[in-house]
Amino acid sequence: MNFDHIDVVQSLIDGVLFGSVYALLGLGFTLIFGAMHKLNMAYAASSIAGAYVGLATITIFAVPTVLAFVVGPLAAGVVGLLIYISCFQFMPRNNLLAPLMASIGALFFIDEVIIDQTAGSPITFPVLLPDAYFPVGEYGFRGDLLFIAFASFILMGVIVFMLYRTKMGLATRAASQQPVASLLCGIPTHRTNSTVFILAGVLGGFAGCLAAAAVGVLSPLLTLPLTVKGLIVTVIGGLGSIRGAIVAGFMIGALENLFLLFRGVNERDIYVFLVLFLFLVVRPNGLFGTSIDRD
Amino acid sequence: MGLAPMLRITGLAKYFGGVRAVDGLDIQIDKGEIFGLIGPNGSGKSTTVNLICGVFPQTSGTIELDNVDLGKMAPHQRIESGVSRTFQNIRLFGELTVWQNLWVAWRDAPGHETNWLVNWFGSPADRQHEIQKLLEFSGLGDHSDKPANSLSFGEQRQLELARAMASKPKLILLDEPAAGMNSEEVADLKERILTMKELGMTVLLVEHVMDLVMSVTDRITVLNFGKPIAEGTPVEIQNNEAVQEAYFGSAKNVEAGA
Repeated sequence: MNFDHIDVVQSLIDGVLFGSVYALLGLGFTLIFGAMHKLNMAYAASSIAGAYVGLATITIFAVPTVLAFVVGPLAAGVVGLLIYISCFQFMPRNNLLAPLMASIGALFFIDEVIIDQTAGSPITFPVLLPDAYFPVGEYGFRGDLLFIAFASFILMGVIVFMLYRTKMGLATRAASQQPVASLLCGIPTHRTNSTVFILAGVLGGFAGCLAAAAVGVLSPLLTLPLTVKGLIVTVIGGLGSIRGAIVAGFMIGALENLFLLFRGVNERDIYVFLVLFLFLVVRPNGLFGTSIDRD
Repeated sequence: MGLAPMLRITGLAKYFGGVRAVDGLDIQIDKGEIFGLIGPNGSGKSTTVNLICGVFPQTSGTIELDNVDLGKMAPHQRIESGVSRTFQNIRLFGELTVWQNLWVAWRDAPGHETNWLVNWFGSPADRQHEIQKLLEFSGLGDHSDKPANSLSFGEQRQLELARAMASKPKLILLDEPAAGMNSEEVADLKERILTMKELGMTVLLVEHVMDLVMSVTDRITVLNFGKPIAEGTPVEIQNNEAVQEAYFGSAKNVEAGA
């Protein structure tokens, strides 16, 4: 098969733009990991759940599609909070396994609720901006992907601003660096943690809606691939690294599309996992990961 | 004794399994007092500090601050009630800058609190001036934008003390603040504690550096194996036989060991 450079560049463009969904998911995973040094395995499931609530809202109440992008993230934020309360809040701080297993349970629970409610069949998600296409020379930008990337950048900006410029963000980082000392400095860690889960949930809900809109369907089959992709992005970026998650998200989006172009849809994920494998062997701390001393 | 003491600890005990880390401790600290808690290693000093600020629950006994029972409160609620502390091994938020370390621990003076949203998501501008004043007091005025982990050891100790003061506590617990300091830094710390006393602050000082304890404290309790073995002014403590025995061992023990 022959591919000219136009195909390659075009699929890179699409991949990077769609990669913002992975960047958002990776950012959510890494926010939670950064705050608690624990993985929330139900995170992508909560994102898809949020997208379903958004879709249900616009279908039932016949309101404009854009409202799905408001209701979905909010619902995912609520689900995030519920996951925090049920799987994390009451677990001993030093027990890393308990919340991991509990959140895997939550992942399957959310999945089953979705399958039960939808009879397991995919539902069409309205396409965003179907007519928007911006040709630039030999290449073109899909309007919905541009919207996805633009909205993701704004959200990421808001999150980074909060983490580095508000007391809540600084308190979250303080609690991550010194869990005991931060409590003894009056930082209510349950409050900062639940804020992180809500914020990450909102990011995920938005990513879920964006992914559904870009793909055109919402299906319970999306939760596992998104969980895996989100984790891959988080690990490649470096667990707990914000810029790592963002860079790795775009990177995986681009690579995935290249693999799709060169090797087809069946082999695409094999190569994505190979990239993860390579990173784990060559650079196990990820792109920007550091080992941090903590008590 | 007209006024009730600021901190009243009654019958405080903490057992770790069979180990009686603290066993029947009574302490009363008056407002404005610098109170020393000393004793050999493993005598239960740090455990007492950890009990007061709620790192773990006590086995029995009560801890009251200004007649408020702290015993059942979560750590951050105790901070709100007016306790704060420094740590034996420095526990700063290393990746945050110096002033950010103070900001996250900051509490507005009673009666001037802002609402929850403004406090956690608003701008620090209103407090910047006060935070800077606290930094000047701690001799860190020039370092406010440096990451905390880039400071020297002595400066980190000063920042810990400043952070403990940022929550406007009624009672500050200093857990071996002079550990690892050279004599110059200890002298500096002494000055700072005496200034805190002039400002009317109440301090519980846990310390091994006896020069420091004897020169700044008003009263001292000596712990040994979790039990108080003496209480009194620095002079009384220095002349107390039981204390000397706890620190240096008795003649009997020396013979037995030989």
